[in-house]
Amino acid sequence: MATEDARYRESSQYRLWSFSPTQLSALREKTNAAARARISDRLLSHPLPATSSRDLSAPTSNANTPDPDGNGNSTPALPEFLTPAEELTLVGFYISETLRASEMLHYADEIKATAAMFLKRFYITNSIMTYPPQEMLIVALFFACKVESGHVNLSEYTKTFNKSPEEVLAGEFLLCQGLRFAFDVKHPFRALRGAMMELASLKDMQADLKRLDAAEARARKILQFSPLMTDAYFHYTPSQIMLAALSLADRGLAERLIQETFHFVAMEGNSADTPGANGGAGEGNNNKNRANEEKAAIIGSHLRDKVLGAVEACRDMLSRELPERKEHWTNKPFIKTQITPLRKKLLKCKDPERWNLVELQRVRRQQKLDSDDEDDGGRKVKKEEDGDVFGGELGHSAKKRKVTVKEEDPFGEPLRKVTVKKEEDPFGGML
Amino acid sequence: MAVSPLVFPTSSSLTSPLKRQPSQQTTTTTGNNSSNGTPNFGGFGAPLSAAKAILSNNNSHQDPSSSFSSSASTPSPSLTLDPIEQMNELEKRKYVKGRKLGEGTYANVYLGHSRSDPSVHVAIKKIKVQAQYNDGLAPDAVRELKHLQELRGHPNIIQLYSVFSSKDQNLNLVLEYLPLGDLEMLIKDVDRVRYGAGDIKAWMGMLTRAVWFCHENYVLHRDIKPNNLLIAADGEVKLADFGLARGFCDPGWRMTANVITRWYRPPELLFGARHYSGAVDIWSVGMVFAELIIRTAYLPGNTEVEQIALICKQIGTPTEDNWPGVTQLREYTVPSEITPVWGKEAYMGRFGAVGSEGVDLLVRTLALDPKKRITAREMLEHKWWRTEPKPTRKEDLPKKSGGGEEKMGADLKRRNGVLEEENRGSKVARKLDFGAMK
Repeated sequence: MATEDARYRESSQYRLWSFSPTQLSALREKTNAAARARISDRLLSHPLPATSSRDLSAPTSNANTPDPDGNGNSTPALPEFLTPAEELTLVGFYISETLRASEMLHYADEIKATAAMFLKRFYITNSIMTYPPQEMLIVALFFACKVESGHVNLSEYTKTFNKSPEEVLAGEFLLCQGLRFAFDVKHPFRALRGAMMELASLKDMQADLKRLDAAEARARKILQFSPLMTDAYFHYTPSQIMLAALSLADRGLAERLIQETFHFVAMEGNSADTPGANGGAGEGNNNKNRANEEKAAIIGSHLRDKVLGAVEACRDMLSRELPERKEHWTNKPFIKTQITPLRKKLLKCKDPERWNLVELQRVRRQQKLDSDDEDDGGRKVKKEEDGDVFGGELGHSAKKRKVTVKEEDPFGEPLRKVTVKKEEDPFGGML
Repeated sequence: MAVSPLVFPTSSSLTSPLKRQPSQQTTTTTGNNSSNGTPNFGGFGAPLSAAKAILSNNNSHQDPSSSFSSSASTPSPSLTLDPIEQMNELEKRKYVKGRKLGEGTYANVYLGHSRSDPSVHVAIKKIKVQAQYNDGLAPDAVRELKHLQELRGHPNIIQLYSVFSSKDQNLNLVLEYLPLGDLEMLIKDVDRVRYGAGDIKAWMGMLTRAVWFCHENYVLHRDIKPNNLLIAADGEVKLADFGLARGFCDPGWRMTANVITRWYRPPELLFGARHYSGAVDIWSVGMVFAELIIRTAYLPGNTEVEQIALICKQIGTPTEDNWPGVTQLREYTVPSEITPVWGKEAYMGRFGAVGSEGVDLLVRTLALDPKKRITAREMLEHKWWRTEPKPTRKEDLPKKSGGGEEKMGADLKRRNGVLEEENRGSKVARKLDFGAMK
C-alpha cells in the first residue's frame, strides 16, 4: 500500500488546490486580467439601460470609440478596475466576514474553515468583480454545511441572512463549478488533537500537562483564523500547518514533536559506516539495526530539514494573520479607509452579465428551454450519429460557439505534472 | 491599460463579423501548443475575445424571434463562457454520450465513450434535479462526489474519471464502465451461475480490500450490499454508490442511524446508535459473505422490528453480557425470549462450504458488539485467504452473460433506498410488535 504521503497526493486538495506561491499569484493575475477583459467587452456591448434605446437603433455603433455626437451617456467610459492586490484585500475581508458569520451561528470548526476555503478557492479562478462576494459568502457557508454535515435547513438558514432561498441556490452550482466539483477540504484540526495526544504520551511531558493544554488552546485559536486568512492551505499540508501553529503557540513542543518523529536520524551517522558489518552483534540485534538504518534512510535528516523548512515558512505566513488580527478586519477606521473605497470601486466595475446571480440563473434556465434537450439523446438519432449528443450551450449557435472552446485547461497543465511543489508530508499519520 | 488589446480586435469583428473566423482558428491552434507546466497567461485572453466575437455576431444578426428578453435591462441571454465554464466545456467534449442504460428518479445512466478513443467506454451518471428536494444540489450527489473525488486509484472502488455539467446545471459523473452486472445478479441466478469456495474467496477479497481502503481513508460507505458491488469486464469487483458515504466523525459528533439497507444493517444502527465506526460496514460485509454462500439474503427482515428479531434468533440476542452498554442505546429493544449467541459450530452446517477458516471469518464479522467485530484490516490478515482453495483468478470468475449493462444502469441510477423513512415506533410499540410476531 502506498504511503500516507502518496495518498495525500491523490487528494483533491493536493491535485487541484495546491500551488506554489508563484503559480498562485500568476493564477490570480490571470483571473483579474481575464475579468477586466470580459467586463470591458460586456460593458461595451451591453450599454447601460439608460442608453439602450439609442443603441437598439444602431446595435453595431462603435461603442468603444468616442461618440461623434458628443453624447456622454452612450459612450460608457470603462470604469477603473480592481487590481489583483485589491481583489485579494477584498477577498480577505470577505473571508473574515465568513468566519465572523459562522462564529455567530456557532458552526463547528470544520464548517467554518471549509466555508472560508470554498470562498478562497472560488476566487482564485473567478474574479470578485465577476461574482458578488457578499452573496457568494452566504452560498459558500450554506454549501459548507451541506458538505460537512450532510444537511441544513435552507429556509431557516436564509432567514438568518435575510435572503430568499432562491438567492442562495442561485449561486450553489456556480460555487460547485468554481470548486471544480471537489468538495473535500482537509483541515489541520484533527492533526492538532493527535499531536497533543502524542506529546501527552511522552513520559517527561506528563508533569507538564498544563503547558500542553495552553499550547493546544492557543494553536487551535490560530488554526481557526490564521491559515484561512493566508494562503497556507494552498502551499502546505494540514500537518505542516498544524506544526506551524503549534510552533507559534509553543515552539518547544513543535520541535519536540519533530524530534520524536525523526528520532532515527540520530542513528544515521553511526550506521553509515557499518552497513553489512556484523561486528559480533547478535542476529536479532543486527536485524534491528538494519531496520533502523532503513528507517533512518527513509525519514532521515534531509527529510527532517525539509520539514523544518516548510514548518518555518508556514509559521512565517501564519504569523502575518494571528488571531489578534480579527479586530483589525472589523476595525471601523480600517473598513472606512480600506474596504469601503474598494467596495465602491467594485460596484462600478462589476460584471453586468454575472453580478445578479438570480437573474443569471433565470437566463440559464431560459437558455435550457430554448435549446434542444440533450437528455433525449437516446431518441434523437440524428444528433447521436454525428457523435455530438452534448450539442452546444446555445442551441442554434452551437456550432459557432464550439470554436470558442480552446483545447486547453485554463488552469494550465494538470497540476500533478507541475514540478514546483510543496514539501511532501512525512507526518501523514497526523493528517 | 492592459484591457485595450483585448477590446479592439473585438470591435473590428463588429463591423465585419465574418472575418473573425480565421483569427479564432489561429488562437485555437496556439492554445493547443502551449502545453508547458506553467499557467498560461494567454490562455484566458485569447478565447475570451473569440467568445466575445460570437456574442457580437449574435447581436449584429439579431433575430427578433430568438431574442426572448422582454425587458430592456435584461442582458442578452447569450452568455459568454467564463474560463471555468470553458474548462467545463472541454471536459464535456472529452466524452460522447450514447444510449441510456437506465432511468431513475435520482439519476439517469448513459453509456458513453471517450471522444479521442472510442474504444474506451465510460458510464455517465447524470444527476437529476430532484423535485422533492428543494434545497439545491441533493445531499446524495454531494456525498458521492465528495468521496469519489478522494478515493482514487484503488482497483476495487469505482473510479470517477471526470465531472462536468450539462445544460441547466445538471451534474454528470463520468464513471468507470462496469459491464458485467453486479454480485446480486450472480447470487440470484442459481440455475445458470455456479460458483464455489474459491470464487467466493476472490469476491470477498476484493470487497474486503475496497472496504479497507475506504476506512483507511476515513470514509464510511454505509450502503454495502450485493447490488452495489459491480463487476468490471475483467471480473474485478468494484464497490460503487457512495451516495450515503461520509467521513469519520470526530468523537462527540452525532451521525444518523438511518443508513444501510435494512438486510445489511448492523444491530447498533437498528438500536439507533448515533456514534459508530467502520464496524457498521463490516457487518454488511459479513451479510454479503453469508449471502454469497447460501445464495439468498441471510437476514431478510421486512421491517426493522423483524430485522432485529432475525438477528436475535440467528446470531443471538444482544445483552449487557455480550455487548456492554447495548441496553443504553436509544432504541434498544429485543424480543423477550433471549437466544444465546451461537458459536462457530452452529454455522458450520449452513456455511461450511467456505471451510472452517471461512466460517471463523464470517462469525467474526457478525460479532454483535461493534467493538468486538473484526476490522477490515484484521479481515485481510485472516488465515482464510491462505488456506485452500486459493481465490479464483479474476479472469476465471463465473460471469453472467447479458444484462450486465442494464444492471449497471439500474444500480447507478437508484436512489439510495436506505433513507426510507421507516416508522421506527416507540420502544413500547416495538415490544408489542415482537409479541405479535410470535
